[in-house]
Amino acid sequence: MSESGTARNDTAGRLNRGWRIFATGFSFTCFGLGALLLGFTVWPLLRLSSRDARVRVARVQRAVSASMRVFVWLMKSLGLLTYEVRGRERLAPHGQFVIANHPTLIDVVFLVGFMPEVDCIVKQALWRNVFLRWPVHWAGYISNASGEGLVAACVAALTQGRSLLVFPEGTRTRPGEPLAFQRGAAQIALAAARELRPVTITCVPITLHKGNAWYRVPPRRPHWVLSAGDPIPIAGFLKAGEPAPLAARHVTQALVHWFDVSITQQLDEMRKETRPGG
Amino acid sequence: MGPVQSTEEIFETLRGVLHELFEIDPAQVTLDAHLYNDLEIDSIDTIDLILRLKEITGRKIQPDQFRHVRTVGDAVNAIHALLQNKPAAA
Repeated sequence: MSESGTARNDTAGRLNRGWRIFATGFSFTCFGLGALLLGFTVWPLLRLSSRDARVRVARVQRAVSASMRVFVWLMKSLGLLTYEVRGRERLAPHGQFVIANHPTLIDVVFLVGFMPEVDCIVKQALWRNVFLRWPVHWAGYISNASGEGLVAACVAALTQGRSLLVFPEGTRTRPGEPLAFQRGAAQIALAAARELRPVTITCVPITLHKGNAWYRVPPRRPHWVLSAGDPIPIAGFLKAGEPAPLAARHVTQALVHWFDVSITQQLDEMRKETRPGG
Repeated sequence: MGPVQSTEEIFETLRGVLHELFEIDPAQVTLDAHLYNDLEIDSIDTIDLILRLKEITGRKIQPDQFRHVRTVGDAVNAIHALLQNKPAAA
């Protein structure tokens, strides 16, 4: 390539990056304002739309899901990301316990978008967030404020036939560190005697990860792959006589191993596809 | 657990319980070890631990009595204080 060609490419690359920084800021502003606006208008109205608490929570959750799909569509249309969902139909049935690894800020946006009715655990800080407190309130999401109460609330959601989404890491993955799961997901699965539906999330090149500001956009447009795997059975871990805390440790170890293998495979495959000339 | 227990005996019993419930290597269990940071005992584990201690000591334990427990040493002291009291009437 000639020198002027390289310079042109550099300029194009810088322009593209500049655009993506601006568009990312724009998208997140839309997200915040949209959440605030809907939180004061559509969602309270939906909340009043039925006397039956189950019906109205389901309606709000469907609306939240639709708005998440709009947000993903916006980011995709602005050229900020591409994505691929594998086994999306597996996420549709009700009463599922879905767990996923958590590499990026917007994992929950994708997953809630794909699952029209799902209960999520929302960190306590968001119940005080000016943009998100009303949406999470109206949607009946579960706060992570108390340990025991949290597990009980999640088990109750599953026994009532609702779907539940949990990120067992409890926070976004720290790149370069070994995958670390808290034991809450295992405790819920054991207490509810439910199989787990794992979703492996990978993003190449990595962006919006822990400790990375939103405006530090990656060198090229990032691609997400979200794949819903085969269910992980829990029955084998419910051994008679084994103390519950020990069973939770064993399930957690098994889950970490499952995700380690699955994430590595998915990343290898994505990097092969994106290799120049490959 | 007998009525009179030295802190050393309580410590050894606790070591056994932590291994039985959580598969924690007894070598890791020192008086200074932090239950959450060093031994990875979370809030749900704490409930199971208190239940097991109730069984062993035969005493009622209020979660409040363990609220300020952070290290293995704190736990030993809390159990020691519990055993000094007369057994609960109920």
